[in-house]
Amino acid sequence: MTEAETAVKAEAWAEKFRQATESDPVIQCYAKYYTCDFLLDMEDLRVGVQIRDGQMHKIEINSAPLEPHHFSLHAPAETWRKMSEKHPKPFFHGFWAASVREDLRIEGDITVLMQNLRNFTAQFELFRQIGVPV
Amino acid sequence: MAKISPVIGRYVAIEVDDLEYRVFWLENGEGPPLVCHHTAATHNHQWRHLLEDEDFTSRHHIIAYDMARHGKSDPPQNAEWWKEDYRLTADHFVNFVIAFCDALELDQPTFIGSSFSGCVALHLARRCPERFGAIFALQAAEYASGWWPDWWRHPHTNAAQVCSSGVWDMMAPMSPDNERWLTMWYHMQGAEVLKGDLHFYSMDHDLRGRLNEIDTGKCPLVMMTGSYDFLTPPAVTKATADQVAGCDYVEMEQLGHFPMSENYPLFKPYLNKALELIANKRA
Repeated sequence: MTEAETAVKAEAWAEKFRQATESDPVIQCYAKYYTCDFLLDMEDLRVGVQIRDGQMHKIEINSAPLEPHHFSLHAPAETWRKMSEKHPKPFFHGFWAASVREDLRIEGDITVLMQNLRNFTAQFELFRQIGVPV
Repeated sequence: MAKISPVIGRYVAIEVDDLEYRVFWLENGEGPPLVCHHTAATHNHQWRHLLEDEDFTSRHHIIAYDMARHGKSDPPQNAEWWKEDYRLTADHFVNFVIAFCDALELDQPTFIGSSFSGCVALHLARRCPERFGAIFALQAAEYASGWWPDWWRHPHTNAAQVCSSGVWDMMAPMSPDNERWLTMWYHMQGAEVLKGDLHFYSMDHDLRGRLNEIDTGKCPLVMMTGSYDFLTPPAVTKATADQVAGCDYVEMEQLGHFPMSENYPLFKPYLNKALELIANKRA
């Protein structure tokens, strides 16, 4: 796949992620105050996400290294692919599991993650529906 | 016509280490007693399916209680508990289970516990095997460090959401949504005690080097763990079981940390298997 094709695929995925988030009933019934900025480091791609009251304020593919965020999740592309399978194998079935038993790292301001944990957990599950762009 | 459940609930007063508790339990069925303990920060509804399953209630007296400070069992009545930082210990946990079984005059009950109560099951097997007909330790390990963070009770977060979301990944993703959300719901209700419960689980509970003190000749022990349990993975439970002579180990496929609650139809054959293992040993 060429660099241009990869970029088009990633942008299409970002739109699917936005739509899935903003139409997810679990997230939207507690949308108010779900506000935070996070980075999903997928090795081949860095996705910056800004959420405001449960709405996708901004999704940035290949987020710049110094772009600020509250917390970040880092894992090899292969781990992200395994976590996004419809029926993931044990310990690839969530970011808690993968951070304890596999090679996913959580960094940054963990307080913000914990403050938004209910909805972030639900949003992370969406990858099993829409896949990941790596 | 009203659908009235055969399950009934009652209270009993017990004294444990000079603390007076009023303990609530649910029960149904006839036969040898099967005493069921919930996981940390929840209550006896985790055993709701077993309590109404005629395949078991026709041959067992199923008893599922709320530990003190959980569900309908209040904190101690004779102490200013609100001025103390609740930290469960192995000693108090063991004494609580024994006092409850004594109060109900249970003769050689089978004890089944999961997670923190799976761990206390190992202590019961080590300290007082003569009191039990059999012991089933689910999702247990000789040692389970690392789960006593301040996040369970941090003033800058919503503890109910943190505690419940924190256990989401401990369930198998293929377990039914309604059962997973109910299991989460119970954790939302018990968030205030999670950190105190996990003081036992991650701090006071440590049987490393002491598993050889468990005599399965006096009381059979079965350990079972769900394949999706990242907190106590099958390899960790098996490593514990391997150190106890005569202990049976069973991995529960497609289940997580809350097998009886998150997917009872899958859990049921494993419980049957555990009971069969014990029956065969007695035979």
